[in-house]
Amino acid sequence: MQRRSFLLTPLLLAGLAPAAAAEAVRYPPARRGTRLAFPRDHGAHPAFRHEWWYVTGALDAPQRDMGFQLTFFRNRPGLAEGLSSPLAASQILFAHAAVTLPGARLLHAERAARANLGAGFSAVDCDVHIGAWQMRRHDTADSESFRLKMQDASFAFDLRLTPTQPMLLQGDGGWSQKSPRPDLASHYVSWPQLQVEGALVLDGKRQPARGRAWFDHEWSSTVLAADSVGWDWIGINLNDGGALMAFRIRDAAGASVHAHAALRDKDGRLQQFGADQVSFTPLRNWSSPRTGARYPVQMEIRVGPYAVRTSPMLDDQELVSRRPQPISYWEGLVSVTGALAGRGYLEMTGYASALNL
Amino acid sequence: MSRLAWWLIRAQFMTRRTATALSILAIALGVALGYAIHLINAAALADFAQAMKSVQGEPDAVLAPRDSAGQVPLALINQIARDESVAIVAPVIETRVRVDRAPTAVKLIGLDPFSAAAVMPDLLPRPSDAASGGSLFEDGAYASPALLAQLGLGVGAGVTLSRGEARWNTRIAGDIPAARPDDLLLVADIAWVQAHFGPPDAVSEGRLRLMPGVKAADWLAAQAGRLPAGLALRAAEDDSARVSNISRAYRVNLNVLALVALLTGAFLVFATQLTAVAQRSTQFALLGVLGLSPRRRLLQILVEGLAIGVPGAALGLALGYGLALAFTQAIGGDLGGGFFSGSTPAILPGLAPTLGFFVLGCAASLTGALYPAWLNRMQPLAQALKTGFAQQPHAGHDGRPRSRRAWATAMALMTLATFGLTQLPALFELPLAGYAAIALVLVLGIAAAPLVTQTVFGALVKLALPAPQRIALQNIVQAPLMAQVAASGLIVSFALTVSMVTMVSSFRVALDQWLDAVLPAPLYVRSKGMPLPDELFAALKQPTPFEKLERSATGALSLDPQRPAVALLVRELDRADPAARLPFTGSVSTVARDRIAVWISEPMQQLYRLNPGQTLRLPLLGREVEVVVGGVWRDYARQFGAVVIGQEDYLALGGRFEATELALWPRRGEEAAARAWLAQRATSLGLEMHESGEIRELSLSIFDKSFAVTYALEAAAMLIGLFGLAVTLSASVWLRARELATLSALGFDRRMLTRAVMTEGALIAAIGLGVGLACGIAVGAILTHVVNPQAFHWRMPLEIPWTQVLPAAALTLLAGIAASRFAARQATRLPAAQVLANAQ
Repeated sequence: MQRRSFLLTPLLLAGLAPAAAAEAVRYPPARRGTRLAFPRDHGAHPAFRHEWWYVTGALDAPQRDMGFQLTFFRNRPGLAEGLSSPLAASQILFAHAAVTLPGARLLHAERAARANLGAGFSAVDCDVHIGAWQMRRHDTADSESFRLKMQDASFAFDLRLTPTQPMLLQGDGGWSQKSPRPDLASHYVSWPQLQVEGALVLDGKRQPARGRAWFDHEWSSTVLAADSVGWDWIGINLNDGGALMAFRIRDAAGASVHAHAALRDKDGRLQQFGADQVSFTPLRNWSSPRTGARYPVQMEIRVGPYAVRTSPMLDDQELVSRRPQPISYWEGLVSVTGALAGRGYLEMTGYASALNL
Repeated sequence: MSRLAWWLIRAQFMTRRTATALSILAIALGVALGYAIHLINAAALADFAQAMKSVQGEPDAVLAPRDSAGQVPLALINQIARDESVAIVAPVIETRVRVDRAPTAVKLIGLDPFSAAAVMPDLLPRPSDAASGGSLFEDGAYASPALLAQLGLGVGAGVTLSRGEARWNTRIAGDIPAARPDDLLLVADIAWVQAHFGPPDAVSEGRLRLMPGVKAADWLAAQAGRLPAGLALRAAEDDSARVSNISRAYRVNLNVLALVALLTGAFLVFATQLTAVAQRSTQFALLGVLGLSPRRRLLQILVEGLAIGVPGAALGLALGYGLALAFTQAIGGDLGGGFFSGSTPAILPGLAPTLGFFVLGCAASLTGALYPAWLNRMQPLAQALKTGFAQQPHAGHDGRPRSRRAWATAMALMTLATFGLTQLPALFELPLAGYAAIALVLVLGIAAAPLVTQTVFGALVKLALPAPQRIALQNIVQAPLMAQVAASGLIVSFALTVSMVTMVSSFRVALDQWLDAVLPAPLYVRSKGMPLPDELFAALKQPTPFEKLERSATGALSLDPQRPAVALLVRELDRADPAARLPFTGSVSTVARDRIAVWISEPMQQLYRLNPGQTLRLPLLGREVEVVVGGVWRDYARQFGAVVIGQEDYLALGGRFEATELALWPRRGEEAAARAWLAQRATSLGLEMHESGEIRELSLSIFDKSFAVTYALEAAAMLIGLFGLAVTLSASVWLRARELATLSALGFDRRMLTRAVMTEGALIAAIGLGVGLACGIAVGAILTHVVNPQAFHWRMPLEIPWTQVLPAAALTLLAGIAASRFAARQATRLPAAQVLANAQ
C-alpha cells in the first residue's frame, strides 16, 4: 500500500497541482473603459496578478546626475488562496532600490516579503511598505506628495516627491495596450516631473538631495504574449518641462511586437503615437560580465517626427535580482539628446532570459 | 650541562624504569582525563550550539513570549518590522505534531521562506517539483532526511499531522537539505501551520536581524520598556551564554576531578624523584665535589621532573584524544549530565586548550619535583659522600614538643579556615570556596599524618613485640618523612574515593526517597510536548478499572534571559494540602484564599533567592501575575528550577489547562486490567505509558550511568595511590640500606626482613587509609552540603555507605601490603656486605 502510494502520488500530483491552481484563481483582465478614480487607484489592486509602483529620478547638484530608483512590486501568485490564515502567501511584495553613481557604479538593494508579515499595502491609496522601506502618498489641504524611504548597508534615501504637473493617464484613459491583441493590456498611470527634495545617505554620510523624478503605477494580469520575451521602456523628464514615455514589446528575434509612445509638451498638450510611429534602434551594445546578456545601452528612439538618442550615465546598470526568481534586467539613468532633450530612465528586460508576465 | 644532564636522566630512567614509567603514566592519566573531559564537553557544546544555530539561525535578537504557552501578536511583529533599525523579522510558529500514528511527536516549524532565507537558511525546505508543484507557499510539509528515514516515508507521501484535536492532511512536499543528520523535524510554510494549529493572529516568536551598524544592546535597551509584559526581546548572544550555563557547573565539577587525578600524578613524581635524589645522593655529592654547583643540582632534578612531565603530558594528550573519540563514538556527547544527548559530536582539538593541558601536565610534574630538587640542592656534600642521603638537611622539626605544638596550632587554624570556606556562598555561581575547602581538607589530612603516626606508633612501640614488628614501628616513628610521603598518596586517593562514594550514595538515597514522593500513582501516561488527546479523556469517562486520576501540564517560563527557563507545572492539587503531592523541604505557609499560590522547587529558591511567604511576579499567560510562594519542595529533576501552580488558580487566571501527563490509580484488585486498558490506549494514541516502578528504575539507572565516569576517576586515583606506596617504600628501603644491611649482618634472615618491610607498609597503609577515610568523609560532606547545593542547587542528607567504604579500605590495605612486598624484595636483595663496606 505504502509503496503504491509512493509510486503514484508524485505523478498524480504533478498533473493536478498546476491545474488546481489555475482553476482556483481567476485574475481580472485590464478592461478598456475602466474609469480610474484617485486616490483609490493610487492604491493596490490585489485581485490583479501584477502591480508595480515605480519611481525613477535624477538628482542635481551636489549629486550631479546621480540616478535613483525605488520600486515596489506586488504579485498575486495564485497560491494559498483559500487558506484561512492572515499569513497566507497570496500577496507577495518585492522592492528594488538602486542608486547610480555616474561613471562609477550602481548600488542596489532589494527586499521581499509576503503581505501581512513585515510588509503591507493599502487598497485605497498609494501606501506600500516592506519593513521600513516605504512609498506613501501624503495628502494635505494645500498639497500632495509622495514619501519614499529605504535604507540598506551601503546607501539609504528619504525623499519627498511633489507634483509640478497633473498626472498622466497612459493609453486610453489609463488603459495601455501591450500587444496587437486587446486582451494583453495594463492599467497605467504616470506622474512625470515630480520635484524631489530630501536626503541621501552614501557611505554613512547624509547629504541633502534635490532633483526630478518620474512615478509610474501599473497593474495588470497578463502583459506579454507567449511569443514576447521582454520590453524596452523609457520615461524622460524633458528639460523644458515636457515628458516623453515610449515602450516596445520584443519577440525572441528582437523585433517589435508592439510599441506605443506618449509625449506631453511643456504646455500640457498630449500626443500619442501608435506602433507604426515608434521605433527603437540599438546603436551600441554592452555585454554583462555577470549574466552574459547583451543590452543595447545606446539607442535611437523615433517617436513620430522626433528622433532622440540615449546615452547611459553608466554602462553597467544591470540589476540581478534573486527574488522572486532569478531575474536580470537593465534599468538606468540615461541622458537624452536630439529633437528632445532631458534625463530619463531606460528599462530593458528579457535580454538575459525571457520574462513571463 | 646538557651532556651530563642527559646522561643523568638516561641513567635515572634506566635504573628506575618501573617507577619512571609509572610516574609518566600517572601524569598521562591526569592529563588524559582532564583533556578528554574538556574535548567531549567542548564538542558537545559546539554541537549543541550548532544544532541551535541550525534551527534558530543566527539572528541578532529574538522576540519571544516569556511563558511557553504565550505567543507574539502578529501586529507587534509587523510593527517591529517597520523599525528603521530592523533589517528582517523572521517569524516562526513552533509546535509539536504527531505524524500519522507514529508514537512520538515531531517538532513542526512554520516559517516564512523570505525571511528564513536570510536568518535561518539551514531550515529552508527544498520542494520536490513533482510533489509540490514547486512552490514553498502551497500545502505541504518538508521533512528532514533523518525523519523521512525514521518514518519510512518518501517525498510525495500523504501524511496526517495532528496535535490535540487539530489535523492537517497534507503530503511530504520535499526535504530540508541543510538539516543536520540527526535532526528530526518538519518544516512548512508558516501560514499552513497557523491555519491548522494556530495560534490565530500570532506567532511563536520573531527572530530579528538588525541593520548593519545598529548596536544590538542599545536598540534592545530602547525597546525594553515598550513591550507588553508577557514578551521579552533578548539578544541572541544570551542564548549561547545560556547554553554554556546549562552545563557549566557540571563541567567544572568534572574538571576539578581531573585536576585531582593530576594532583595525584604530581605526588607520584614527588615520590619517584625523592627516591631518585636519595638513591643518588652519593653520586650527586661526588659531582658536587667535582664542581657541579648546588644550582645545577637543583636544576637537574627539575629537568628530570620535566623529562617525566613532557612525555607524560604528550601521552596524556594522545590518550585523552583517543578516550574522547572512543567515548563520543560509543556513547555520544553526554558525560552523564544529561544536557546533551542523541548525537555524536565531532572531536576537534583546539590549539590553546591542547597546549594548556600539555603545560598543566608538565607543571604538575615540575611541582612534584620541586621539593626533591630543593633537598638535592641542600645536601651537605661531605656527609652525603660518606653516609648517603640526609633526610633533614636542616635538622629541624622532627617531632619535638614545641614544633609539635606549632604544628597542631597550624592545623587547628586550617581546620577553622576550612570550616569558614564551607560557609561562603558560591562565587560566579560556582562552588569555588567549596573546592578550596576540599583542597584544605586534603592538605590537613597530609599534614596530620605525621602527628597521627607519631602518636599512635609512639604508643605502640612501647608494647612488647617481636623484633621485625618493633623495627618496623620504630622506623615509622623515627623517619616520618618517608612514611608521610607514602601515606599522603593513599590519604589523597582514598579520601577522593570515599568522598565520591559518600556523595553519590547520599544522592542516591535521597533520590530514591524523592522518587517515592513524586511518583504517588502506580501508572502514568504522557504525551511529549503535546496535550493529551480528548479521545483518552472520553474513554476515561466510561467505566474503567481506575479509581482516581490526576492531570498535570508542563510549560516553561523565562524569568531571566541569561538563564534557562523555569519549568511551570500546572497540577491538580489541593491548595490546603500541597504536601500530599510535593516533597517539601521545610514548612508550608498557607496562602490567603484571594492570592495565587505557587510552590517552588529548591533550585528555583536558590537561583532566584526566594523564600516561602514572599511574593513573586511570574510572566504567566501574556502578563505579569503576582503570586505568593507557599513553600519550597525538593526537586532533583529540574536543575534550573520549577514552579507548581494549582490547576484552579491557573484556570482562574484565564489559562487553558491542557494536560500533558496523567497519573492513574487502578482500583484494588484490578491492577492487571488497568495496565492492559491503558497500554492499549497508549499504543493507539501514541502516548508513553509508564509504571511508577519503571520510572524509578529508569531514573536510578540514569543516575548510576551519570556517575559512571566518577568511578573511573576513583579507580585511577586508588591505583596511583598504591603505586605511590610501592615506590616510596622501596625508596625508604634504599635510604635505610645501611641499617637493613646491619640488621642482616646481625642475623635477620630474608623472611624477617621481608616481614619488617611489609609490616611497615601495612602500618603506613593503615595510617593512610585511616586519615584518608576521615578526610574522605569530610570532603564527602563538603561535596554533599556545599558543592552540590551551590553547583546544582539541590540538597540532600549525608549518607555514609559503610558497606562500600570499609571493604574498599580492607581491599586497599591488602593491596598496600602486596605493594610493600615489592619493596621488601628489594630489601632482601641488598648486597649487605657491599653496603656496609661502602658506609665505612
